[in-house]
Order: sequence, then structure tokens, then C-alpha cells
Amino acid sequence: MILWLLKRLLQAVLVMVAMSIIVFVGLNVIGNPVDILISPDADQAERLRVIAELGLDQPLVWQYVGFLKAALHGDLGNSYVFNQPALQVILQRMPATLELAVIAVGFAALVGLPLGLYAGLRSESWLAKFLMAGSILGFSLPTFWIGLMLIMVFAVQLGWLPSGGRGETASLFGLQWSFLTADGWRHLLLPALNLSLFKMALIMRLTRAGVREVLPQDYIRYARARGLTERRVISLHVLKNIMIPVVTVIGIEFGSVIAFSVVTETIFAWPGMGKLIIDSINVLDRPIIVAYLLLIVVVFVWINFAVDVVYTLLDPRVRLGEKGSAR
Amino acid sequence: MVQAKAQRESSPLLSVRNLRTSFQVEGRWTRVLNDVSFEIGNRQTLAVVGESGSGKSVTAMSIMRLLPPATSRIEGEVLFRGRDLLKLPSEEMRRIRGSDIAMIFQETSLNPVYTIGFHMVETLRQHRNLSAAEARREAVALLDKVRIPSAASRLDDYAHQFSGGMRQRVMIAIALACNPKLLIADEPTTALDVTIQAQILQTLRDLQAEEDMSILFITHDMGVVAEMSDRTIVMYHGDAVEEGETRRIFAAPGAPYTRSLLAAVPRLGEMAESPGPSRFPVIDRATGAVVTPAASGSVPDGSAPIVLQVEDLVKRFDIHGGTFGGLTGRVHAVEKVSFDIREGETLSLVGESGCGKSTTGRTIMGLTSPTGGSVRMEGREIGSLGRRELRMTRRRMQMIFQDPISSLNARMTVGAAIAEPFLVHKLGGKAQARDKVAYLLERVGLRPDMANRYPHEFSGGQRQRISLARALILDPKLIIADESVSALDVSVKAQVINLMLDLQSQLKLSYLFISHDMAVVERVSHRVAVMYLGEIVEIGARAAVFGNPQHPYTRKLLSAVPVADPDQRGQRRVEAGELKSPVRAVDFVPPGREYREVSAGHWVQLADNRSW
Repeated sequence: MILWLLKRLLQAVLVMVAMSIIVFVGLNVIGNPVDILISPDADQAERLRVIAELGLDQPLVWQYVGFLKAALHGDLGNSYVFNQPALQVILQRMPATLELAVIAVGFAALVGLPLGLYAGLRSESWLAKFLMAGSILGFSLPTFWIGLMLIMVFAVQLGWLPSGGRGETASLFGLQWSFLTADGWRHLLLPALNLSLFKMALIMRLTRAGVREVLPQDYIRYARARGLTERRVISLHVLKNIMIPVVTVIGIEFGSVIAFSVVTETIFAWPGMGKLIIDSINVLDRPIIVAYLLLIVVVFVWINFAVDVVYTLLDPRVRLGEKGSAR
Repeated sequence: MVQAKAQRESSPLLSVRNLRTSFQVEGRWTRVLNDVSFEIGNRQTLAVVGESGSGKSVTAMSIMRLLPPATSRIEGEVLFRGRDLLKLPSEEMRRIRGSDIAMIFQETSLNPVYTIGFHMVETLRQHRNLSAAEARREAVALLDKVRIPSAASRLDDYAHQFSGGMRQRVMIAIALACNPKLLIADEPTTALDVTIQAQILQTLRDLQAEEDMSILFITHDMGVVAEMSDRTIVMYHGDAVEEGETRRIFAAPGAPYTRSLLAAVPRLGEMAESPGPSRFPVIDRATGAVVTPAASGSVPDGSAPIVLQVEDLVKRFDIHGGTFGGLTGRVHAVEKVSFDIREGETLSLVGESGCGKSTTGRTIMGLTSPTGGSVRMEGREIGSLGRRELRMTRRRMQMIFQDPISSLNARMTVGAAIAEPFLVHKLGGKAQARDKVAYLLERVGLRPDMANRYPHEFSGGQRQRISLARALILDPKLIIADESVSALDVSVKAQVINLMLDLQSQLKLSYLFISHDMAVVERVSHRVAVMYLGEIVEIGARAAVFGNPQHPYTRKLLSAVPVADPDQRGQRRVEAGELKSPVRAVDFVPPGREYREVSAGHWVQLADNRSW
């Protein structure tokens, strides 16, 4: 177990190093941030001074080595734009994205699982067929379009909910959170719903497929033959066996919401990390981009780790860190 | 009042009258059980026997009302202690399941993600008003009752941490949780090894006496029927074709189908008189008349050329594990195995799971490379051959497997599947291949026009015939048959074996027949090799090994086989014991073995201090 953990950590570090190299090289190819940062009428001396200050006069390799050295001390560089440590800029935006992601995925699971369960158990009923047909819409309609429709209906036409922004926030652990206030919740609702629809459809279909697969198994027939109530058969014997794929998807989707909620954040003017990264790419704010991508790697590594641990809790036949043992 | 009680005592525990079950298939109701009626008295055992699709499991599921209500219809009466189960409200029926009537299935039916303790406690608490702690104590007592060693510590283990036999014991313990009056056992020992099966049957018999319960035993195995039941009901296509006392059914079967079924059952010991293999008699299912009587096959004489010679064959598999994935042990799957097979001869390898019989076959075929030893096919050492010569030699031996579904490509017509090896080895053109396929299909008892069909259009027995045809297209000398008839129904099994024997005498084929089924082995072999933990412990002429078994393991194996003769019941007792594992430490050196010649060609390994 400990060895497995160490292996995992080592893998994570390797991924992060590889990631930083790709980003460094890639960004160098795209263009020179100096062109964007300095006003066009600055003279050559001013230009050289800024280049030297940002360390861009060094060869790329040395730039990278310098970055690595600083990174080991927890310093991922200063943002060219904000003139603050890049990590700090990102962490300021992180709560907004995190709470949006948690609520969206939680919502998807809370709705998708029961609906999928129903659709699996009563697959012949018209409601189940309706749900399955509806889930295809959830897959295929583009997020931005649904977001616009939500704003049009609930914010513009009905006027029930605000169309953007975080609303009132309250402080917890020194960070600002929307979910602690009623107004914050009103602001959260639409973007969270928009993000969760796709995942809801996915979880629902997965759950249904799992139920259809588990129901004919011998152990379900055996559970019924032991006189267990139908409720117990479903909630314990069926549910636990279908959770592995569902947990996997929840993990992946959670990661992707944190990393790639750009579209929704832009539409709902949600001041999260997604919006920040798009802005930073536009102005080639290298330290922010690098720090952001490294942070995302860390997030994914942790989510995968958590999912693996949950596997072992769900299925005793899964053993961490063992391979190729006989039979 | 007193009268009513007395009446209940004398009336049967379960009385099934005109049970009729239909399934809805694609909108149409199809009858799968036709007016089945029977009774089970107190402490009685009734066996329901039949081949696949006969409706024996549906009978049990109908009694328990476990069929999906939307797509099934159950009519008739199921009187259990005077109450009609079919008319009970579903909640009351649920309370009867697992308490008054308990059920056991094949041992793989425990939910893999819960501990066995979880299964036991939930069953106990569902039906009996127990606290969690009381239920746990009761669970330990139950595991003790079915003789699971150190029961308390095994409660938190999962099903996959138990052996097959132990899992079945756990299921029996769960069934006993609420002192059932009736136990329905649906093929509980089908997937178990014979010695383990014998132990489980013994346990069931002992517990039946202790617990005062009746058993409804569903099986396809006539040997198990003879071993277990007081009364027997024979099913065929949803009809109960015969019902009566087990002894009577075996001694004087009334229905033609029963007669044909019993004729297809090999009985251990019935071959003592004849030296060679023997065809099963063929009996018409409708009339019961004998179509072709049993006939003995030929015995190759000592001058017949040796086809396959195996000497000191060794196959080991490395096990990696531990912190750094290093070598932690080895599976000694095959350990110094030597034998030879003559032209037209059948040598059987018998043993229980994990004894290395299949690995021996696969290693000879070259599907895995041997760790040591030599294999000579018609005098040519296989290990020394070049690529081309190896291909030539491969043609001379072919293999057929247990499961023809997975060994035939579902998207290829059977004609193409049979012709494929012929074309791969470039033995002729397409037209020649087509002619040969037609000829072979006829030869294995199918029609040449069937070549254009796909595997799923055939039954299990027909698919095995197709596998045989595919093996024969290269004109092999030797066929390795790895559990080739094990999954087939009794009557189909008899037909395929008859076919194999016919082909042997016509084409002078040699067979290496790998099987766990002692009765079938006795029927088909000229010589037998008994394997245990990778080694041959006894080898010799079939009549010698079966008639005069010398090695303790051979004797144990023979005594564990259920004999399809109720008069021989209960004469043997099998001592408890688990199958041992061939996994050894890295530095393990296999001890040298010595063999003693009992009679001409009958060798037995000198027993060491192992317990058998």
C-alpha cells in the first residue's frame, strides 16, 4: 500500500515535469509576451530592460532550469499582468471554480443515480424510455447553447435568477465562498445546472447499464431466494456492484469540470479559474499558464488516487499495488 | 383440532399439482412446464433430473415464485404444509423464502462485494428477531455446523477467499439459518471436483438427518441422483416423464426417455470385463427400443507404432509478487511426466482441478513451451525442429476443447472454419477444401449443406462435432481432447463419444483424452494416467488401474465418484480434505520419484509421507 502510494507520487511528479516542459516549449513557439506587454511606442532600451527583468534574454533551457529551481522553493513565478505570484492569483480564483464543480457533480450524481436505477429496474415503462431519450439530448446539446437558453428563460423572461456573477460571498478559511449565502446560491444555481446536465445524462446511462447487467446475476437471484426484501436487494446487492464505473466517471468528470469549465464560466461571468486561464493565454502570461496546468495535474492525480481508494472499498477483489500474482 | 394436527403430520410437506409455467417470449406465451405434479414427504429427498432445457430449474423457481412476474405465468397448485404458495400475498411469500424453504445454488452465487458474514447476518436478521451481535454468534455456530474450520475468524472473509467446496458449505450454512423444512438445491455440486462433491453430498445427508428437513435436489447427474434421493422425477422438455422410487427407476425404468437417458450414463465398474473402450448403446427416445447395442472397440496390439512419446515433461510457471515484483514462488504445473501413446490407442489423463492435466496437453501441443523434458511426435523431437518442420509436425496432432462456442469464430461459417487449417497449411485449393469439408461433415454425422451456417445455429453437441471435423481436416494421427465432452448433456455426450470411438477404429486415430470424469474415462480409454499435483501417480491399462488401484489417491478419486446405482449408496465415506496447491517456494526441488510395476505396464508411484 505504502509502496503503491510512493509509486503514485513519483508518477505524478514525472507527469508534472513532462507537463512543464511541454508548456515551456509550446509557449515559446506561440509568440513573445514582450510584444503584448510593452506598448508599441516604447524604445529599444526600455524593451531590453523589460526582457531582462522577465528573464526572457536567457536561452530557453536556462529559463527552464531557473523555473525548476524556483518551483522547488514553491515559487512558480510572478504573473506578468498582475505582478503577483502566479500561484496566489490562481488560488484566489479557485474557490469559485471548486464550489461550482462540487455542486454540479453532486447534483449530477444525486439526480442521475436514482433516475438510472429506475430506468434499469423498470426498463419497459414509458417513463424509463422517456428518460433514456432525454439523456441523449443531455449528451448532444452544446453547453453554451443550453447556458444561453437557461439565461434567457430563467433570468431574462422569468426574472427568477440572476444571469451572472458570484453574488454575495462569505468568508471561510480565509477564502470567499458563494455557497454560504442565499444570494450566492441564487447565482450558483444556473451555472451549476448547466455544467451538470451532461454528467447527469452520463451517470444515468451508466447506472442503467449496470443495473441491467447485475440483475440477471446469480447473486441477485440468490439474495431474493433468501427472502430479502426487494428494497434491500436493490439498495445493497445491486447498488454496490454497479458503483465502480459510476465512481470512475464521477472522478473524471469532477476533474474535467475543475479544469475545463471555461465555457460556462464565461457565459455566466463566473470569476473562476477557467476565465482566468483564457485571459492569460490571450496575453501570453506564461507563469500563470504554467502554474495553472501544473495545478490541474495535481488535481487529477489526487482525484485518481481517491477513486482508486474508493475502488478497494467497493470491491474487495481489487487490491492496490499488486500485479501478476498467481490466480 | 387434534385431528387436523394428525392430518398435517401424515400429509406431504410439499405437494405440487399440475404446475404449469409459461414465459412471454417476444409477446407470445410459451409453455415451459406441462402439468408437473409431485409430492415430497417429511425428511424425504426428491431428485428432479433432466438435461438442459428440461424445465427442472424452472420447477424450483416456480415453487419459490422467483420468476420475473411481468414475463412469466405460473398456474396450478403448490401446497406447502397445506397452504397454496401461488396464492399467498407476495410479502408473505417473501417471508417463507429463506426461512421455511431455503435454497442453494452453484457455489458462485455469493455476492462478491460482501463478506460471507454479511450474507449470514442479513439472512438471519431478515427472518429472526436478532440483534447484530446475536446474529454474528449464530452465524459462527452455523459455520461450525457445516464444519468450516476456525469459523469465527472467517466470517469477515469474502467469497473469493474460499475454495469452491468451502463456498458451498457457506451457502448450506446460510440455508440452515432459519431451520427450513424444505431445502431446494439447484445443481449445488455441478462445478465441484469429485472428491469435494462427495464431501458436500455427505454433509447434506448428515444435516438432513440432524435438521429434520426435506430436500428437493435438482441435478443433471444420474450418479448424484442415485447417491442422494429417495424418489426421483425425470423431466424432458417440460414434462415429468416418469416419477417414482429412485431404486425402481434405476432398476426398471418405465418411460422410453428414462431408458435412453440411463443407457447413456457411464457407470463406474461396468467395464471390468472388457479390455478396450466400448460404445454406448443407442436407445430410441420415443419407443425405448434398442437401436444399436453397446459394442467394444478394438485394442491395439503391442506391435502398433508409438505415435507420441513424452519423457520427463516439466512445466513451471513463475509467480511474481511482493514489494518489488520479484520471484516469490513457482507453480509446478507439470512435474516429470512421461508416457507414450500407440497408434489407435486412447490414453486418458485424469485428475482434479489444478493437477496439471490440461497444462500437459497444452505443452505437448506447443501452446506453452515446456520448462524441460522431451516430446516426440512419430519419432521426431519437437523441441529440435525448425519452424517449417514444426508446422508439418503440428498437422499430425490436433486439439479440441471443452467449449466449442469460444473455439469457433462466431462470424465465420462452419465450412470456412473447418477449411481454414487446410488452406493455412496449403494442402490444396479451395475446391478441394470444399469437398473435404463436405466429406468430413458427413463423417461426423452432420449434413454437407450445413457448411454455410454459423456456429450459433448449432447445438452444443453439434458444435463439438464441428470441432472434430476441423481437427480431422489435416489428417492427424493424434487428437488431444481437453475436457471435450464435459459440458455436454448426458445423451449428447454419449453420442459424441460414440463418434470419437468410431473415428478411432476407422482412421486408427490416437487420443490423449483429458478429463476429470472417471466414469467417462473408464468408458473410452485403453490406458489411464492419474495425475496429482503435476505428477503421474499411477499409469497403466485401464482395466488394471480401475480394477486394481494401487495408489491411495487413485483409490480416493475412485471412491468419490457418485455411482449411478442406488444399491451401492452409502458404502463409502469420504474424509474431509481440500485440494492441495501446486505452488511451491522458489528454492523447492521436486523430490525424485520411484515407480513400482504392479503388473505388466501398470506402474504406481511409491507413496511418500504425504497424506492422501
